[in-house]
Amino acid sequence: MSTTSPMQASRLQQTLKYIFLGIFAVPWVAVPLWMLLVNSFKTEGESSVLSLALPTEWAAVENYTKVFTEGNYFVGLGNSLLIAIPVVVVVLILGSMAAWAYARSNAMGLRVTFFISAMSIMLPPAIIPTIFILTKIGLQGTTWGYMLVLTATKVGVIIFLAVGFVRTLPTDYEEAAQLDGAGRLRTYWHVILPLMRPVLFTGAVMLVIGVWNDFLFALFLLAGKANATLPLTLYSFALAPTGAVRWNLVFASVVMTSIPLFIAYVVLQRRVLSGLTEGGTTG
Amino acid sequence: MTSTTRQGRRGAFNAPRRPRRFHPTWHFWFALPAIILVLAFFLVPFLANAGFAFTQWTAYSSDITWNGFENFRTLADLGVLGHAVLITLVYAAVSMLVQNVGGLFLANALQEPTRVNNVFRAVFFIPVLVSGLAAGYIWAALLAAQGPLNQFLSAILPGGFVYSWLGNPVSALVAVAFVDAWKWVGLAMTVYIAGLNAIPKQLFEAAALDGAGPWRRFWKVKVPLLAPAFSFNVVIGIVGALSSLDIIFAATGGGPGDATTVLQVASYRQYGQGLFGTASALSLVIAVIGVVIAIPLISALRRREVRL
Repeated sequence: MSTTSPMQASRLQQTLKYIFLGIFAVPWVAVPLWMLLVNSFKTEGESSVLSLALPTEWAAVENYTKVFTEGNYFVGLGNSLLIAIPVVVVVLILGSMAAWAYARSNAMGLRVTFFISAMSIMLPPAIIPTIFILTKIGLQGTTWGYMLVLTATKVGVIIFLAVGFVRTLPTDYEEAAQLDGAGRLRTYWHVILPLMRPVLFTGAVMLVIGVWNDFLFALFLLAGKANATLPLTLYSFALAPTGAVRWNLVFASVVMTSIPLFIAYVVLQRRVLSGLTEGGTTG
Repeated sequence: MTSTTRQGRRGAFNAPRRPRRFHPTWHFWFALPAIILVLAFFLVPFLANAGFAFTQWTAYSSDITWNGFENFRTLADLGVLGHAVLITLVYAAVSMLVQNVGGLFLANALQEPTRVNNVFRAVFFIPVLVSGLAAGYIWAALLAAQGPLNQFLSAILPGGFVYSWLGNPVSALVAVAFVDAWKWVGLAMTVYIAGLNAIPKQLFEAAALDGAGPWRRFWKVKVPLLAPAFSFNVVIGIVGALSSLDIIFAATGGGPGDATTVLQVASYRQYGQGLFGTASALSLVIAVIGVVIAIPLISALRRREVRL
């Protein structure tokens, strides 16, 4: 579009660029995915060779059945969904409410808490005191405690993204709503929230990826098989008894833990990427 | 300028501010739930960590007592402290570097939203979706001594090639840092594309008219204007790497020896042994490294925000 070089040279350049990118994408993305899939279909003995060849003996059904039966898969999937969905929704609501307030206020106290919220994205979490606090309030090891901590540590991302976005919005809409007699909550729900949609979508993408794949907090804060999320079930299944890594089962389990996010990505892919590349990330 | 007029306009809706008394406006109530959460589960733990690092605290006794620098001394005597710091810094630096070079390169190649570019963007974003554990397992298999990478190298190099990438301390550390970068480069790419899209096209045209070649335009126009995206990626990359644990757990388990035992893994080990004081001490070191790196970058970001 904006190239200044002559047409032909630029077409050759373009072709070379795509050939290069294509060659780069093979080891970068295609081979890892192929490795994962093809070995999840092999028998234990054959998968231990770790090759990219097609299986000579297919064991797909056995492997995936084992993931479902021994791998605690459905418990993990259920927990992951029951945790990720409410956490993402609550973070989006609380984050956008706070972001509106921060963007429209100059009060010293709020400037300080905004700064602290921004810091919470940039600094590594202090897990052991978190465990201490959760133990004190009786929530250590529980789903509730884990959800609380996830919500608190992720809300800063939404605040940070959305404040930058709201500051660029004119105040006219809110003022009109106020003049029409809408209260703050109504104005938030009917005016501000719809206006924030693009930036919240971007934020939601980052949240879903972060929450769904969270292992660090889950490892420290969730106890017991019954509370395990998918990353934890994957980890304990991969570690499982015998000592030698059962690559076929590890890979089948990786496939099954990754699939929900992949489906969402395939369905929403265009919006995900256009949201991330056009909206708010640099806000 | 704009902020004063905005404030003036808003004044019509708020009660006039009385000095020196706490009169919460709606802003306060709207921010309150988030404030409570952030204070209770980010700030308080963050500050408390600095205290716990100097206490004798184990799973075997309910007493928590001050013990000064004892935890740090113990860790130093075990050879854990300095080594883990070094490993963590190398890991973060390699990961951040690969992420940003790769992300910048891909963003430049794929900036225009053409159909082909969108396909490539979608492909290079895939690793971002994969969990850290999954990434670790996949690459551990690809890098295994008899694995696909070495099979490929054996095919193109004379005399066969056998090398245990994850068995040698140095290559194992570089390899896990590389896997970390592999997982996140797609995100860095999108942030850089957003940054590039925010640069007005006229600037390039003006620079081109003034006779600047593509290379000069890249360094003199793009790079300075990409600074916010750059700081964002650097901070997120480094901080992400500082608390990285899953990739290492899956790929090497911290080994060989303790060659990939970054601070977070070391802290988990102490925690796992019931040694909460020393675990906190290691966690404090992570926090200090994070603060030292993040604060100057955040203030740089904020200064830029004011200017734009």
